[in-house]
Amino acid sequence: MVNKDWLTVALAKGRMLPPALELFEKAGIGCGQLRETSRKLVFTVEEHKLRFILAKPMDIPTYVEYGVADLGVVGKDVLMEQEKELYELLDLKIGPCRLSVAQKCGSGKFKGGYVATKYPRVADRYFQGQGKQAEVIKLHGSIELAPLLNLADAIVDLVSTGKTLIEHHLEEVEVIAEITSRLVANPGSYQVKGTRVTDLLQRLEAVSAEGVAAPC
Amino acid sequence: MNEKLRRLLTPEGVRDLLPEMAAWKRELEKKIQASFSRWGYGEVSTPAFEYGANFVDEMKAELTDKVYRFLDERGRMLVLRPDFTLPLARVVATHLTANPMPLRLCYGGDIYRYAHGEQGKQRVVTQAGVELIGSDCAGADAEVIALAVDVLQDLGLNEFTFCLGHAGFLEGMLAAYEVAATERETIKFYFNNKDFVSLKKLVESLPLDGSAKEAILRIPGLRGGKEVLTEAARLVPGGAADEPLRLLAEVWEVLSDYGATEHLTLDLGLVRMLDYYTGMVFEGYTGGLGYALCGGGRYDQLLGHFGSQSPAVGFAINVDHVLKVLQRTSEMPTERELLFVGYSKARRAAAFAEAARLRQQGERVLVDVQERSQEAARAEGERLGAAKAIYLG
Repeated sequence: MVNKDWLTVALAKGRMLPPALELFEKAGIGCGQLRETSRKLVFTVEEHKLRFILAKPMDIPTYVEYGVADLGVVGKDVLMEQEKELYELLDLKIGPCRLSVAQKCGSGKFKGGYVATKYPRVADRYFQGQGKQAEVIKLHGSIELAPLLNLADAIVDLVSTGKTLIEHHLEEVEVIAEITSRLVANPGSYQVKGTRVTDLLQRLEAVSAEGVAAPC
Repeated sequence: MNEKLRRLLTPEGVRDLLPEMAAWKRELEKKIQASFSRWGYGEVSTPAFEYGANFVDEMKAELTDKVYRFLDERGRMLVLRPDFTLPLARVVATHLTANPMPLRLCYGGDIYRYAHGEQGKQRVVTQAGVELIGSDCAGADAEVIALAVDVLQDLGLNEFTFCLGHAGFLEGMLAAYEVAATERETIKFYFNNKDFVSLKKLVESLPLDGSAKEAILRIPGLRGGKEVLTEAARLVPGGAADEPLRLLAEVWEVLSDYGATEHLTLDLGLVRMLDYYTGMVFEGYTGGLGYALCGGGRYDQLLGHFGSQSPAVGFAINVDHVLKVLQRTSEMPTERELLFVGYSKARRAAAFAEAARLRQQGERVLVDVQERSQEAARAEGERLGAAKAIYLG
């Protein structure tokens, strides 16, 4: 049975977790226990009737869509790739970076060819919109390898400082989108738990405006 | 994929329902239609496909892309119905203009839309709904909502919320602030998706003064009970949205006499993307389901397209979504146990007569397909899952 009083929030494990926790704490929700490095994946904050679950970033929209979580904190890159019917309530302004096209240094403008990426749908849509022929190759990580080994002519990936690119003799040639983390909601939860969602939304809105910059 | 394997699969977006689940779904549909009937709505049945011209002009681009089209033997375009409201509008305008108004009609069946997405997106959706035609009163708006609440309660759902808005509110507000037409469309689109991040970005970039921007961005927060109407009125200059707000207040009043406001939330940011809505709009949600259980609203211009001007209001319930929720929250309804009737060759006629008698009493009876010994018949009944075996030998 769905408990109307409790809210479940899905957070991404990994580099996006500390800035997200910082934001919740600024909003007055103590979630120190989530900082402890343990294998625990579900945490309850009795005082605020909140339950946090930790998941892989790419899985967060799924947890929210199926109502296992009412809300989720997830990067715009993941939302763009998955196109789920979730409500995008707030730009939390954490984890700012860009989703960009990068190539080997000095290869000029990308005109078409093989593209390696973790974001095949975004890449496909982007290049189609530009009328460029791109053959998209899906990889799960270390995308920078692809151009070095001549698997691909270009990559589509997240870029923040650009350090990783430089190390692999790659350069950012086009920015597809500016990325930050967003607060998303399941439409059912948004309506049925309206008051609770609005309350949390307003708390986070008040503190996210300040912007918590964190390296990507 | 080889041909043989393909023959075993269903296409993307459609599925089979096996006996118990199919029975449950049929049961739900029957219950819904029974509720409609108790409220005095008469069922209408329309063909699964019609001339494309009936639909395509009236649909918003968003829906036109999702319609199944094909040609008939003379090359005329046909479409599989993508909803029931358009066919019902056609039926009313062509066959029922002489009936006393308001007219109360209901329907149930499958609609067909292309849908994309990795999981869960079905291309054939079972709907059940009503249309109340020929009245523009707030009482008519309230009646269909009260009916929808009644249906969901009758189906055993207890935790659900109806959000209620008005197609004219946002329109009136954006017009009052002189937002350009193309941007108005985009703003409506963002409200429909509740993409408040893009909304904020767009509104902040518009050439409007600060208070106008603030007012538009305040709309998502206009949710709750009757009190939001007062706040909403303050946000719109020159009374441009007074009419929608007055109507919502009246609908709320009527619904409180129906005792249905407990399930109601006003949501002035509620937009339903179909172009034909002109007045009150609503959607019903339950916790843990990422889609609306039902939705509807008022469409006063639509019948005019079919040559008979008449106000109308209605809603549709997504039966598949209701089934999905019930699957999670309640036990599958148990069917009456099976009886098995076996027989010797000599008593075959008597066995058939006995089976007929039991069926008359409402029992579910399996009759053996061949004569057997009593022992073998008992084993056969057990093998087929019958609770009891009867033998005539």
